[in-house]
Amino acid sequence: MKVAFPYMGTTVIYKKLLELLGHDVIEPPEPTQRTIDLGVKYSPEFACFPLKVVLGSYIEAVEMGAETLITSGGHGPCRAGFYGETHKKILKNMGYDVDIIVFDDYKRDIVGTINKVLRVKNRKPWIVVWKAIKVVYAMAKALDRIEQRIEKMRAYEVNKGECTKAWETIKDLFDHVKNISDIEKAEMESNRLLDEIKLVDVPEKDRIRIGIVGEIYVVMEQSINLRIEETLGSLGAEVERSQYLSQWIDFNLKPGAAAKEHELSILKKGEKYIEEIIGGHAKQTVGHIVDYAERGFDGVVHLMPFACLPELVSQSIIPTISKEHNIPVITLSIDEQTGAANILTRLEAFMDLIRNIKRTKTA
Amino acid sequence: MNKVFIGIDVGSVSTDVVALDVEGNILSTQYLRTNGQPIEAAREGLRGLKEEFNESIEVLAIGTTGSGRQLTGIMVGADVIKNEITAHATATISLVPGTRTIFEIGGQDSKIIFLKDGMVTDFAMNTVCAAGTGSFLEHQAERLGIPIEEFGDLALTAKKNVRIAGRCTVFAESDMIAKQQYGFSKAEIINGLCEALVRNYINNLGRGKKLEPPYVFQGGVAANKGIVAAFERELNHEVIVPKNYNVMGAVGAAILAKEHIERTGKTTSFRGFECADLEFTPTSFICGGCDNSCEVIKVQMDGKVVAMWGDRCGKWTNSVA
Repeated sequence: MKVAFPYMGTTVIYKKLLELLGHDVIEPPEPTQRTIDLGVKYSPEFACFPLKVVLGSYIEAVEMGAETLITSGGHGPCRAGFYGETHKKILKNMGYDVDIIVFDDYKRDIVGTINKVLRVKNRKPWIVVWKAIKVVYAMAKALDRIEQRIEKMRAYEVNKGECTKAWETIKDLFDHVKNISDIEKAEMESNRLLDEIKLVDVPEKDRIRIGIVGEIYVVMEQSINLRIEETLGSLGAEVERSQYLSQWIDFNLKPGAAAKEHELSILKKGEKYIEEIIGGHAKQTVGHIVDYAERGFDGVVHLMPFACLPELVSQSIIPTISKEHNIPVITLSIDEQTGAANILTRLEAFMDLIRNIKRTKTA
Repeated sequence: MNKVFIGIDVGSVSTDVVALDVEGNILSTQYLRTNGQPIEAAREGLRGLKEEFNESIEVLAIGTTGSGRQLTGIMVGADVIKNEITAHATATISLVPGTRTIFEIGGQDSKIIFLKDGMVTDFAMNTVCAAGTGSFLEHQAERLGIPIEEFGDLALTAKKNVRIAGRCTVFAESDMIAKQQYGFSKAEIINGLCEALVRNYINNLGRGKKLEPPYVFQGGVAANKGIVAAFERELNHEVIVPKNYNVMGAVGAAILAKEHIERTGKTTSFRGFECADLEFTPTSFICGGCDNSCEVIKVQMDGKVVAMWGDRCGKWTNSVA
């Protein structure tokens, strides 16, 4: 069975899981203008941007020979929960013979979920599945640790682009791991690579830290969010995202209460502003803004797909949070019409604003 | 010899060049139409400045801003290349101290900037649509056959209020035609447009934010008395239009350049007025080095590559020392 998956963030991780289960994996290319054009052309106009890009990515995977697409579903009252079905219909109407396996919340359909698991399990013994999961989880953790290190370093690199280049090499290193000991070696090698990058020494008081919050797809997928992390890095800011794959696994898939602690504490922090889960990541968004403020970050960039309902709700609450917690927040809405020049102007001005605040605070 | 600080604001519709003296007073302003040729307009402005001072001028620092800031900055050898939000705020803080809210409406973008204690605390810029900007008005003025210069005065003569749908330029047009059929005069329709623009602006940019006086209104559209009046009605408060409302971005760039030189103690990297006569060509190409296919911009001056940018990996950017 030739399988593919939606492109989001560090894709070597999903690729590895499917490979270890013995699937013939087709990795869709990183979204480009062509992916976006394809997705926009075949999606309903008012569907949100992630649906369009993912559709484009699916079409490219199918063109490359994928027969089955595996994805996670969404939960809560947001359109994302309906994506799998919508994608299925569109691809069918386009005449592609392709199957989509959507993993929704298992509590809603236990038998269905078991059947899906059995299909993805690919008749491998459970011990192989267990080992594969362990390897992939360790890999997700390791890659997230490395990425977080890069997100801090990028602001200070002497030669522009070195960190990003190293990150590409590192993902390639991890593409070849087979077991836990390989992962440990790959992580050591990665850190050695990063140690070699020359950095400018900036005193602690001048360091600027920015949190990136918002809807998961536009936060995680750099090819469609104007490479926000690299952009902020080149403007001299350390960044941290509200979402990392390993955290998502901890909260959504890993059994046991301890794994859920981090996300629950974030949700708790946002409770004052959004009480209920209203779909998407709106509640996480407000929770993370409070969290970043409490941790002494200098500012927050809020990303949302254009017209995303849950994030529109959080956007309208942000001015209050920003005021109560004394942290500047800028909202950028992203879709295929987004102009880079306009966003860059606003990010530059945002950095000026933060630097000014910092200067008067320390003076 | 006049010692000056120069600021250049290259916008979509106008290119402004100003010269400040060492105390920060405005000595000269040049206001030119960009006409889609930012480089030419900036050159024209510099030449005009040189002539005005009869060549008795010494440039201590130079800054650029506006959507053409980068390219112009390279051409003149700018000490500071700043975004227009910071530049506008800097000018207002210095020329109209105590301002709390700045409305800036230019040719194709509009901004709102919030200040407190002489510092920017928040800002917003139009994102999805230009219905709240100068181009919207200019287009409608043209359609009604009224010179944009008379637009504002005519709006003030309106006797009745009429509500025009202002969400979108195209739909505003069909609404105007409908309202003309209802027998509203040109003046009333124009006044309705001014109100639609202001409503749009406040809803779009000021959403969820508290607008506090004193209000300052700047940018090219501030010349339009109809809009100023519509703002005052909407806010129920006086709106200040500073004397140099149309060149505030350039003033800000000059002040930022001045501050930069004073803070760092460096001498200016200005290429001299001769730069207005040098051959200066930007070109772009798609780099085939990897799958990213970046669009790289290459700028040549007299045949020599002076700057490159747009590449993700830094291969080209770093190749220019």
